[in-house]
Amino acid sequence: MNIINFLRNAFAGRKLATVGFIWLCFILLAAIFAPLIAPFDPLEIDPVGRLAEPGLPNLFGTDHFGRDTFSRAIYGARMTVIIGVGSVVVALVCGGLIGMLSAYFTRLGHFLMRGVDVLMAFPALLMALVLITLLERSVFNTILVIGIVYATTTARILYGMTLKLKGEVFVDAAVCSGAGHSSILFRHILPNLVSPLLVQASFIFAFAQLQAAALDFLGLGLPPEVPSWGNMLSEERIYVTRAPWLLIYPGLLIVLSVFSMNLVGDALRDSIDPRFKDDIAGV
Amino acid sequence: MLAYTAKRLLTLIPTLLAATILVFLFVHLIPGDPAAILLGDTATPEEVAQLSAELGFDRPLWIQYFLWLGNVLQGDLGTSIFFREPVTAVIGSGAETSILLASMTMVWIIILGLPIGVLSATKHGTWIDQITSSGAMLAASVPTFWLGLYLIMIFSVTLGWFPSSGFPSLSDEGGITNLRYLILPSLTLAAPNAALIVRLVRASMLDVAREDHVRTARAKGLHPARVAIKHVFRNALIAVAAAFGFTFAALISEAVVTETVFSLPGIGRLVVQSILRRDYPVIQGVILVIVVLYMVINLLVDLAYARLDPRVSLK
Amino acid sequence: MALLEVENLHIAVGSGGKLLPVVQGVSFCVDENETLGIVGESGCGKSLTSLAIMGLLGDSTVRITGGSIRFDGMDLLTLSAPERRAIMGNRMAMIFQEPMTSLNPVYRIGDQIAESIRQHQQISRSAARDRAVELLTLVRIPNPSERVDSFPHQMSGGQRQRVMIAMALSCDPKLLIADEPTTALDVTVQKEVLELMADLQDRMGTAIVLISHDLGVIAETCDKVAVMYRGKIAEAAATADLFAELAHPYTRGLLNSIPVVDRDVEWLEAIPGRVPTLEETLTGCAFHPRCALATDFCASRAPETSQFKPNHSVQCHFAGGSTT
Repeated sequence: MNIINFLRNAFAGRKLATVGFIWLCFILLAAIFAPLIAPFDPLEIDPVGRLAEPGLPNLFGTDHFGRDTFSRAIYGARMTVIIGVGSVVVALVCGGLIGMLSAYFTRLGHFLMRGVDVLMAFPALLMALVLITLLERSVFNTILVIGIVYATTTARILYGMTLKLKGEVFVDAAVCSGAGHSSILFRHILPNLVSPLLVQASFIFAFAQLQAAALDFLGLGLPPEVPSWGNMLSEERIYVTRAPWLLIYPGLLIVLSVFSMNLVGDALRDSIDPRFKDDIAGV
Repeated sequence: MLAYTAKRLLTLIPTLLAATILVFLFVHLIPGDPAAILLGDTATPEEVAQLSAELGFDRPLWIQYFLWLGNVLQGDLGTSIFFREPVTAVIGSGAETSILLASMTMVWIIILGLPIGVLSATKHGTWIDQITSSGAMLAASVPTFWLGLYLIMIFSVTLGWFPSSGFPSLSDEGGITNLRYLILPSLTLAAPNAALIVRLVRASMLDVAREDHVRTARAKGLHPARVAIKHVFRNALIAVAAAFGFTFAALISEAVVTETVFSLPGIGRLVVQSILRRDYPVIQGVILVIVVLYMVINLLVDLAYARLDPRVSLK
Repeated sequence: MALLEVENLHIAVGSGGKLLPVVQGVSFCVDENETLGIVGESGCGKSLTSLAIMGLLGDSTVRITGGSIRFDGMDLLTLSAPERRAIMGNRMAMIFQEPMTSLNPVYRIGDQIAESIRQHQQISRSAARDRAVELLTLVRIPNPSERVDSFPHQMSGGQRQRVMIAMALSCDPKLLIADEPTTALDVTVQKEVLELMADLQDRMGTAIVLISHDLGVIAETCDKVAVMYRGKIAEAAATADLFAELAHPYTRGLLNSIPVVDRDVEWLEAIPGRVPTLEETLTGCAFHPRCALATDFCASRAPETSQFKPNHSVQCHFAGGSTT
């Protein structure tokens, strides 16, 4: 399916989702050009200018180290994109492979999917916490942990969808024409799953932001010096009565980004093949 | 129904066993001598050697597993490094808070989520639907701790209506009125989950409304409200019940965050503190308890599902 | 006066601001104890017409844009919603095409029948249940006093359609609308259900509007027939008169596409072309692109309804002409 047409259909007549999409584009731009946009170094400490109110030159004020909140928020967009994209890639690649292979090779699948069932007995954040206990706090590990958590649900979903496609006539036709296993899986089945995967990706992106923020808040996510929106909230929460802006801006940024991603996912889901619609659990 | 329950119980056992293996392996995945890990940094070499012998750490892994499982089945989850108390006692002390918090949250989810979802579905396509369904999606996009912090700011600090943190037991002074400590936490925890239920009720009611039997109900001359509740909502409840297990999982996870925000002495906060304190026996015990609980909840959800849908239990 | 009189009915589907006409000036009437068959291909507007009579168009995208529907002396389109509901399932009832999905899967069939009864009659729960058993006996469900507690998924398609009929008859309706009641059923079951309906009509004097795409079914069961094509009635007559002489080329096409057992044919004639979609605007006669008799005149002017024979009306410039 033509991706451009798919996107155009999905957003036609959906103003809120379109606004959400545009907002996400802004976040992406901010992430890419963070060093050019941010007026200050996000890590530069200024003991004199601590807890300055929003205004000039500190648009969003400063935190208790005197760091510029606006610059940190811009760099936070970078972390948002890195964590989101990273988790999506880990979840889709691991979960996708497990799900597709399980559905295609039924004997292996029986074994693998039981394993997925067991992992799904661990509630999401709890599983992330368990994994994080075993690992150091780092950007890579946060991505890995969140990605693995959502790999289980992705595996389940792809398993169901691949099973449905496997019964279709075009797969039989490919088998009859002598196509090999990898050709059937990746050249015949996978292309049909691209748009449902896109929907799943957008929901994982949204969930990953919330999970990453929760981990940051618990002091178990990104290393504390990394400027992420979650860390900004976590570190500054004790100053909330003196400097309320320190909570408002990063919090709103998280809410708007997650909301936008959910809106986009919802819009995309409504325009995919109705057979797969019920497979994807989103908001 | 009895046969169905038995069958579901039987299928639960392998998954449960596999989960216990994972929980058991947890301690062994941490680098270092497991006995030293379980006893903490302050342990003497003699203590380490003694525990090592007691738990059979010098023997093959599978024997260790059965030794551990035997202890677990007898209610022995080990000893907390931090509290120097049995893990079961440590978990037990957090149980009251967590159970009360979960129950109150479920009440909010039901009294907020179901009616708003029904409203949104029955007013499908109107501005009421747009506001409620977009509003629900917005609510599901808010980090719980951020919401909690703001509820504390508004209702505790500014208005002084509710206490901002802690929870004395119901058996302490104040009795049942101590539940007021849990109002803000339960609302915080309920918000995103109720939002998911709103979306779910709406989506499944819209699906059901397109089914042929709803047209039959309308052809009987029933009042639209009766059609909406007795035929559409009742059938949509099947899909909603199936998702309640998922909601409960989210609840357990998010309780970790909420209990931390409101400094509640529950199991969720215990997990975080134990991780920060490297109190591995407690982490292991709590995970085991939560996983078992989660499976039991899922079983109950399945049974409720079978009750709601006559096609399931009779198969 | 006829029990049901539909006059110049117009229905339109609203998609994206503009209204597309789907039923254009349909008129017919049905007397007590009479069966009217409406036949046509899918999309010709026959189901929408039946839903409009019943009052089930509810959806905001489909609406009645003109005409009147009179039932038992009342102008249905001027009634309020509660007045309309008092008639639905009571004096006028409907059965649908999909027996497998037309019953609510979570309730026992007895309760579903009783719900219909108690909606319109002040009777106790147990009396409604007794009545449900009685109705199940009437529609020849074996073991009715046990089956009353069955769930729909425990019954076959034919049995479910019988339950639907029992439900429709629960308040002794004067008019029964049956929208493709046998299409989803096996041929043998089909026959049983049609016979059951005819039998019940004889006993109760119910008028029936039978919607079908199958001329054979119509020929067997109906007193009179209306053939619909693209929102209009192409031809209407008493069943015997219609089959005695088919006036409209479309009706002849429909009949030629049915296999006949006692006639050995090499080929079944299909009507060439396809039904034009709603978006396509057509001038002149709606059937002209597919009609062997069509001339330039047919393409420019739509035929009015004319009397081909007494009580046999047709919309065609060349009514009765040969297609060969």
